[in-house]
Amino acid sequence: MTRRISKRKRFIMMNPIIQFFKFIYLSLKILVIVAGGHGGTREVQ
Amino acid sequence: MSRIVVLGAGISGHVAATHLRRKLSKEHTVTVVSPNSNYQWVPSNIWVGIGRMEPKDIIFPLEPLYKKKGIEFKQAKVVTFHPEGDTEIDKPFVKAEYVAGEAKGTTEKVTYDYLINATGPKLAFEMTEGLKPATHKAYSVCTYTHATEAWHALDQLIQQMKQGKKAKILIGTGHAKSTCQGAAFEYILNVEQELNRHGVRDMAELTWIANEPQLGDFGMDGMLLSYGSNIMKSSELVEMVFEDRGIKWIIGAGVNKIEEGVAHYETLDGEFHTETYDFAMLIPAFSGHGFKAYDKNDQDITEKLFRGFMIVDADYTPKPYEEWSVQDWPETYQNPSYANIFAPGIAFAPPHAISKPRVSKNGTPISPAPPRTGMPSGITAKLVADNIIDTIKKKKPSLHHKGSMGNMGAACIASSGYGITKGSGISITTFPIVPDFNKYPDTYGRKLGKTFGEIGLAGHWLKLALHHAFLYKAKMRPFWWLIPE
Repeated sequence: MTRRISKRKRFIMMNPIIQFFKFIYLSLKILVIVAGGHGGTREVQ
Repeated sequence: MSRIVVLGAGISGHVAATHLRRKLSKEHTVTVVSPNSNYQWVPSNIWVGIGRMEPKDIIFPLEPLYKKKGIEFKQAKVVTFHPEGDTEIDKPFVKAEYVAGEAKGTTEKVTYDYLINATGPKLAFEMTEGLKPATHKAYSVCTYTHATEAWHALDQLIQQMKQGKKAKILIGTGHAKSTCQGAAFEYILNVEQELNRHGVRDMAELTWIANEPQLGDFGMDGMLLSYGSNIMKSSELVEMVFEDRGIKWIIGAGVNKIEEGVAHYETLDGEFHTETYDFAMLIPAFSGHGFKAYDKNDQDITEKLFRGFMIVDADYTPKPYEEWSVQDWPETYQNPSYANIFAPGIAFAPPHAISKPRVSKNGTPISPAPPRTGMPSGITAKLVADNIIDTIKKKKPSLHHKGSMGNMGAACIASSGYGITKGSGISITTFPIVPDFNKYPDTYGRKLGKTFGEIGLAGHWLKLALHHAFLYKAKMRPFWWLIPE
C-alpha cells in the first residue's frame, strides 16, 4: 500500500524555521558523506 | 615541461583543468579543447526548463577565465586520437577541428604528454525514431538551449490551459536504455509545482514514463534508505511523492518512436502501447561519440581505446548479473593500453549496468543504463588530475589517488519545486553508488544511515546553495578549491 505524506509531516517539510535547522544538518551530513573520502575497492579483496 | 590536454569543458573537464592549473607550475601547459564556448552548470537546467532561471544564470564564457588563469583554450572538437603519434609527429596527439573564429573548419594536431578525455556522453536522440528536441511537441532539458525551448513550449501550453484547454504532459525517458532518470524526476515535480503556481494544475494530466522496472530505480537498482525514523525502499519514497502530487506513472517502458503528440512504447510484458501528449520532456539515450583511434602507421586501433565510451581500468569480462562485483568498477580511470590517457566523469565505459538488465517478452532490452552524475564526475576528474600532478612532480608513475563508484557517496538533491518559501527538494544520498553486496549484504549493498532520503524546503535551499557554490567554484573565485567536488 502506498505511504501517504501526513499533515504533520507536510507541516514539518514546509516550516521555514524547522527547515532552517534541517538545512544546516543536511548540509553537514551530506558534506561528511560525499567529501568524507573515497577510494578503491580492490585492495580489500 | 609537460603538456596536459583536457578534452571537454563540462563538469569533469573543467574540474580537471582548474585543479591541474592550480597545482602545477606555469612551466607546464594545461590545454582545454572543447567545442562549447560556455561552461554550464547542468543540474540547474531544470530551473531554466520551468522559466525560473535564465540561461545566463547557469553559464559563463570559458575563454576569458582560462586566459586570466593561464589555461590554453581551443574551441574545437576532437576528431581522431593518435596515441602513438604518426609518421610526421613522434608524439601522441589528438586531431581537433576548430568550430568557431577565424580557424573554423581547420584541423590541428594537438600534441600531449597526458590526455584527459572528459567528452561526456553524446545525447543520442537519433536512437529513438522521431525524438529530436523541440519537434513533435517533445523537448529535452539536457542543455540550456534545450531547456529554454522546453520552457517556451510549456509556457505556451500553460497560457492555453488558462483559456480552458485540458492538457496531457508526459515526462520521463525517451529510450529503452536511457539513463538520467533523476533529471526527469526533478523536472516532472517542478512542472507540477509550476502548474499549481499558475492555477492550472487541475487542467493537466501529468504522467511519468520510464524504463525503470520500479519507481525510484534511478539506474542504480533502487536503494533501501532511511527516511526519518522509517526504513523504506526508494520505490516507496517516489511512489509516495507521486501519489501526493497526483502524478500517474508508466514503468518498464521502452519508448521506441515519437510522432506528433504520440509516444510509442513497449513494456517489459511485451505489450506495445501509445501515449498521447500535448507536451513531453523525454531524456534520450546516451552513447559514446564514435571517436576513431589510429596507431603510428595509421592503422585503426579504436578497440584499444573505445568500446562506445573510453576503456579504462575496469573489468569488462562479460558475466551474468549474479556475478557482477563492485570490484569490476574502475578506480583510476586510466586506459590500460596507454598509461598517459585517462577518462573520468561520463567519458569512461562502465563495465556493466548497475540496474539488473531486463528484456521484454519480445527480447527488447528495457532497463536503465548506469547514471554518472555531476558529483562523481567532479570527484573522478580531480583524482585523475591529482595522479597526473603526482606523476609529473615525482617524475615517476603514480596512481595513488583512487575513487571507485563502489566506494564513493553521491548526493542527488532533486529539486521538486522552486521558491524560497514554497520550494521543495528531495535529497537522496547514496553510499556507495555501486552497491557492494559483500560489505552490506543485508541492506541491498548500501550503508544505511549514509543512504537516506529527506523531503522538504531545506532540500530546495540546499540545491540553490549548491548552484551558487559550484558556479563560484567553477569561476575560480578566491579560495574556490576549498569547496569539495
